Amino acid sequence: MIALVDCNSFYASCEQVFRPDLQNKPVVVLSNNDGCVIAANKEAKALTHIPMFEPVFKIKEVLKANNVTCFSSNYTLYADMSQRVMDTLREFSPNVEEYSIDESFVDLSHYSISELDAIANEIKDRVHKNTGIPVGVGIAKTKSLSKMANKFAKKVAENNGVYVVENEEKRIAMLKYFSLKDIWGIGRQHKTRVEKTGAKSAYDFTKVPLAWVRKEMTVVGERLWRELNNFPCHEMTIKVDKKKGIGTAKSFGYKLEDYGLIEEATSYYVAEVADLLRQQNSAASYLEVFLHTNSFSNTDKQYRNKIVITLDIPTNSTIKLTQEALKGLQKIYKPGYRYKKVGVQLLGLVPDTDIQTNLFYQPKKSESSKLTTVIDELNSKFGKNCVKLATVGNREKQWALIKEHRSPRFTTQWNELLTIGKSKS
Amino acid sequence: MESGKANLVEKSKKSYRVKRPSQTGFSSPATHYTEPRIDLNDALINNPSSTFYVRVIDDSFSEFQILKDDVLIIDKSLTPKQNQLAVITKEGAFEITRIDKDSKEEIQLWGVITYIIKSTL
Repeated sequence: MIALVDCNSFYASCEQVFRPDLQNKPVVVLSNNDGCVIAANKEAKALTHIPMFEPVFKIKEVLKANNVTCFSSNYTLYADMSQRVMDTLREFSPNVEEYSIDESFVDLSHYSISELDAIANEIKDRVHKNTGIPVGVGIAKTKSLSKMANKFAKKVAENNGVYVVENEEKRIAMLKYFSLKDIWGIGRQHKTRVEKTGAKSAYDFTKVPLAWVRKEMTVVGERLWRELNNFPCHEMTIKVDKKKGIGTAKSFGYKLEDYGLIEEATSYYVAEVADLLRQQNSAASYLEVFLHTNSFSNTDKQYRNKIVITLDIPTNSTIKLTQEALKGLQKIYKPGYRYKKVGVQLLGLVPDTDIQTNLFYQPKKSESSKLTTVIDELNSKFGKNCVKLATVGNREKQWALIKEHRSPRFTTQWNELLTIGKSKS
Repeated sequence: MESGKANLVEKSKKSYRVKRPSQTGFSSPATHYTEPRIDLNDALINNPSSTFYVRVIDDSFSEFQILKDDVLIIDKSLTPKQNQLAVITKEGAFEITRIDKDSKEEIQLWGVITYIIKSTL
C-alpha cells in the first residue's frame, strides 16, 4: 500500500509555525516580486473574494479590509520545512518519493492492512507535532487512488484528514463521491469524451469498458483506469531524472533601462543555472537569453527579443557561459526601453563526461573545471555567491525581486532566528 | 543533487575511517588512533528534523535563568515531563514555562527546551 501525504496550505502553514498570533487567521503568500497571491490558508480561502493568481494591487483593499496577513514567498524557509516533513516521513518507510515540495508518496508495503489506519493517524500526528505542519494522509493500493484518498480525507470533515482505502467498500464509496473532473490526471478533452459515454462520477469511469478507454484515451488513460480499478501501474520512483533544460527568469524589482544592471542580473542568473547544470553532471550545447519590457503596461514602449547561442562545445563553465550570455545580451539589448525581465535558458544538455571536443578548439585555462570546482566548493562552504564573477557586480538591490513582506529565514540563518521576549523587537 | 541520490537519507560527513598517513618522513604513530573531532550536534541535537533555535531578546524569563541573548535549543518531537522547560504559546505570543503536571491550566505546547546556549563573555 502507498500513502500520499500532502501538507495543508503548505506555504501559509510554514509561516504560521513561527507566528502563533496568526493561528486560525487568514494568511496569503505572494509570488516572486509580490505580484500575485500564490497560496492561501483555509481561512483566507473562505473569504471568497480573494481570487488566486490575481495581481495583488487589484485586491489590496480586500486583503486589508479582511485583515489578511500577506507574506512574500520565503522559499528558503519552505525548502527547509519541507525537508523536515520528508525526513519525518522516512521514519515510517525507507521508500519515500518526494513528489513536490509539499507532497510525498510513502511506500507502506511493510505494514499489514489492519495496521494502516493507526499508521495513517500516527503519520499525521507525528509530522504535525515534530514540524508544526498539518498534513492529510490518503492510503491505497495505487498512486492514483492514494492521491484521491488524500483529497477525500481533507474534503469530508468526518474523515479527519485521513482516509485508508483498505477494502472494496471504501474504494467504491470514494470513487462515487468524486466527479470526473476531480480525477487526478484526466484532462478536459478526455473528460468530455468520457462524459459522452454517460459516465458522471469517477466510479462510472472505472466501469467504462477498457477497450473503449484504450481506444479513446491512449495508454495514459488506460493506466489511470487500471489504477482506479486497484491495479498498480505507477511504481514508486526514487530516481530523479536529469533535467533536459535548465532555466531561470525573474522579473526585476524595478523597471530597468541601465544596461549595466541588466548585465549584472544576467550574470547572476547564469551562475545559478550553471551551478544546477554541474550538480547533475551535464553540459549545455545551447544557451538562450531573452529580454522584455512589461507587456501589462499601457504607457511603456514595448520590446521583446531573444537569442539562441550555439556553444563551440558543450560546457558547464560559469565563465564561458557568462561570456556567451553577455555577448548575446548585447545583441538583443536596445537602449531607450524600460525592461522588466531577463532570463537565461540552457538547452541541449548532454552528460559532461562525453563532451565531444572540436578538433580546432582548445579550452582556455579560465574555463578549466578545476577553477570551477574550487569556486563551487567555496560557495557551498561559505554561502551562495561568496565567490562570483565580477560581472555579477554588487548592485543586486537595484534589480532584485521585491520581497517587502518576507519573513525571516528562521531555520537557516543565525541572525534571523525566531525571537522570544516581552519587549517588542 | 546528483541524479538517483536525491532521496537517500543524508549521511553525516563524519568519517571514522583510518586516514592514510600524510607525513612525508616517518608516518604518524597515531595512524590507527585518529578520530573525528567532537561535534556539538552529536551532543545537543537528537532529532534534527524537529529541532529549532530561538533567540531570547530580553530578561523577561530570568526566573528560569534564561537571559537576554541566550539561544534556546528546542525539540518539538518531545513530550514534556514534570519540571522541564518548554516554549508555549499563549494568546498568540510565545512564552516560556516550567511544566507542572498538577496544574489545571491547559497549555499550548510549541516545543521542549533541551539546552540553553549562553555566552559567558
